[in-house]
Amino acid sequence: MGDILAVRDIVKVFGDVRAVDGISFTVRQGTITGLLGRNGAGKTTTIRMITGIFMPDSGDIRWLGSDSGISFRDRIGYLPEERGLYKQMRIVELLLFLAEIKGRRPADVRKKIDYWLERFELTEKRGAKVEELSKGNQQKVQLIGTLLHDPDLIILDEPQSGLDPVNMVLVRNLLRDLRDEGKTILLSTHMMGEAERMADEIILIHRGQVVLEGTLDEVRGASGKKALHIDFDGDGSFLGQLPQVQHAAVDSNVAEITLADGADSQQVLEACLGRVRIRRFELATPSLEQIFIEKVGDETLSHEGSR
Amino acid sequence: MKKMFAVFKREYLQAVRKKMFIIMTFLMPVLMIALFVLPSLIAARGLGTKHVVVLDGTGQLKDAFAGPEKKDAPDTSLGKRGDLPQQMQTDYVDAGGKNVEQAAKPYLDQLGEKNGYDGVFVVPADALTSESAKLKYYSRSATDFMTRERLSSRTNRAVQQHRFAARGINAADVQKLMKDLDVDAVQLSKGGEQKKAGMANFLVGFIFIALLFIPSFIYGLEIMRGIIQEKTDRVVEVLVSSMSAKQLLVGKILGVAAVGLTQIGVWLTMIGLIATAGLSAFALAGENVLQILRPSVFIYFVIFFILGYLTYVCVYAIGGAVCNSEKEAQQLIMPITMTMMVPWFLMFPIITNPDSSLAVGFSLAPVYGPLTMFARTLVAEPPLWHIAVSILVSIGTVFAFFWVTAKIFRVGILSYGKRPTLPELWRWLKVA
Repeated sequence: MGDILAVRDIVKVFGDVRAVDGISFTVRQGTITGLLGRNGAGKTTTIRMITGIFMPDSGDIRWLGSDSGISFRDRIGYLPEERGLYKQMRIVELLLFLAEIKGRRPADVRKKIDYWLERFELTEKRGAKVEELSKGNQQKVQLIGTLLHDPDLIILDEPQSGLDPVNMVLVRNLLRDLRDEGKTILLSTHMMGEAERMADEIILIHRGQVVLEGTLDEVRGASGKKALHIDFDGDGSFLGQLPQVQHAAVDSNVAEITLADGADSQQVLEACLGRVRIRRFELATPSLEQIFIEKVGDETLSHEGSR
Repeated sequence: MKKMFAVFKREYLQAVRKKMFIIMTFLMPVLMIALFVLPSLIAARGLGTKHVVVLDGTGQLKDAFAGPEKKDAPDTSLGKRGDLPQQMQTDYVDAGGKNVEQAAKPYLDQLGEKNGYDGVFVVPADALTSESAKLKYYSRSATDFMTRERLSSRTNRAVQQHRFAARGINAADVQKLMKDLDVDAVQLSKGGEQKKAGMANFLVGFIFIALLFIPSFIYGLEIMRGIIQEKTDRVVEVLVSSMSAKQLLVGKILGVAAVGLTQIGVWLTMIGLIATAGLSAFALAGENVLQILRPSVFIYFVIFFILGYLTYVCVYAIGGAVCNSEKEAQQLIMPITMTMMVPWFLMFPIITNPDSSLAVGFSLAPVYGPLTMFARTLVAEPPLWHIAVSILVSIGTVFAFFWVTAKIFRVGILSYGKRPTLPELWRWLKVA
């Protein structure tokens, strides 16, 4: 399938900060595209320009999808990072309003509301006011509001923040289903693991610029190097000091290691013996996180991601 | 258009369903009526009797103070005696030939005590002969000017009579010669018809003017709070990703305007009903309220209500766009409200001198125009071109304010940081 959205060289400056500094990418129709980067990398600003909240200072954003007479804005479903609903309104009223401001007639979406409430297990609560719902349920309502007008491009900014594991799985499956129906999803997240699990394509942003772009496999392959994944019991802090190790991300009992040029993984294994109990020792493609660190230097992401 | 209408509808329905709206709609008229009816009720019933002792150093003014206050006693300082809300009872003490201050001493000591006097009034011995003699009124409150005025006017009358008598003019003649003539106030319209002006017209005028501006403040605050709420609830991002800030703002303002008009509509109907019932009462009092409630007043009311309302609402919308929390807004509300209320504070001089340069200036000025011009059309007949200019200026103001509001709104609604300074606001205006 072709591209649905092309972003070309967009720039946005706030005061002295170049929040977005010449970002270009395209989004292919029918994919889940992950927009990755640390907090403050420029993801949200980029998204706000795509959704028309900000105008870029320069550069342009073009809709390449089919032209069916509906405005660009109304084909986008947007879930902002900062969630917000009118707390005093009743759920159904609010959803009708959200569809209306996307140009749908209330009569046309009533059935859809029933369907989505059912799917998100909110049918019993349909008469409730938003403020009476739990936080997780409010998020679900907002997600319904994002999807209700049947958008072609769904933009989700950190959709899983604040969700419990059960709902996280629910959202993950939902996004896959939507993709399989031919929808395009642009998923902004700082959680690399989540992106690895979901995304077909990756756009990695750092300090307002794209540092990596491509399918997940391309991005991984481009690195060329293999990474060493070790699961262990014991204190793994010595791993970072080994001469064979260029960089080590060590957690309490897993580590991902980038080897120094010419180093042999067997030497690392030898060094480990006697110090920790090895449960897994594998030379594999590096994780996105590792690739990212390699790309932008020492500024780690790791503990952002595991928050 | 459809999106704007969605915002409009939401704004209207949410507001009208609120308890505050229902309470306001029905309680306001009751409050207003209470505000205007209570004073006259008090006037009719009275606030009780003031007990004053008069120490007369001349020993010759007994006639003026003995017995109850005479109804027909001419009074130069105040209008009709019947207007006064208080009865006054005077005890006369003849201190002729004595030291008046000495004589007053025991009374002064009991001043304000239970069963004592509320006031002590001292007439010096040389009151009849000296031009520089001073009357003295002692009381516990510094603000009891009504009683003071009444005593002084009564004394002066008596003193004058005595002075005339000393020059050989008969006391009865003096009474006649000094009789005040009453004034009948007549408002002459351009058409030449004569109207009898009176207190009731004045009151009805004030009620109308209050009705004109009170909703502007209440719903101005409401829109400010609404915008801040959208910011704190973070709804605004979804809104501005779906429509332009201008569409959002127009929808909101029109929605709130419709709420205000609904309320005003209910109030006018209620006033109409009450007025029809009360008309006969006013007619009995010899005043025709219909002369102030002429149809043109209602037309002007609606025009100036809408113009004033939109102006104020825009100003408050800017306030909402630049604030991040209700707390911040609180600090802004005072100065905004005070500035907007200037014509209300000046309403008395404006109503009493509707063609003065003060009134004309305010009525043609932006922001203050609608309220002042309406007041003028209510109590006088300003030249048509004044009205036309005022309306045009107000329409211009609304558009200018709207333009500024839309720009600031666009930048402001998404800024969650600290409140912008004035230079920053200026930059927003140029950037947006």
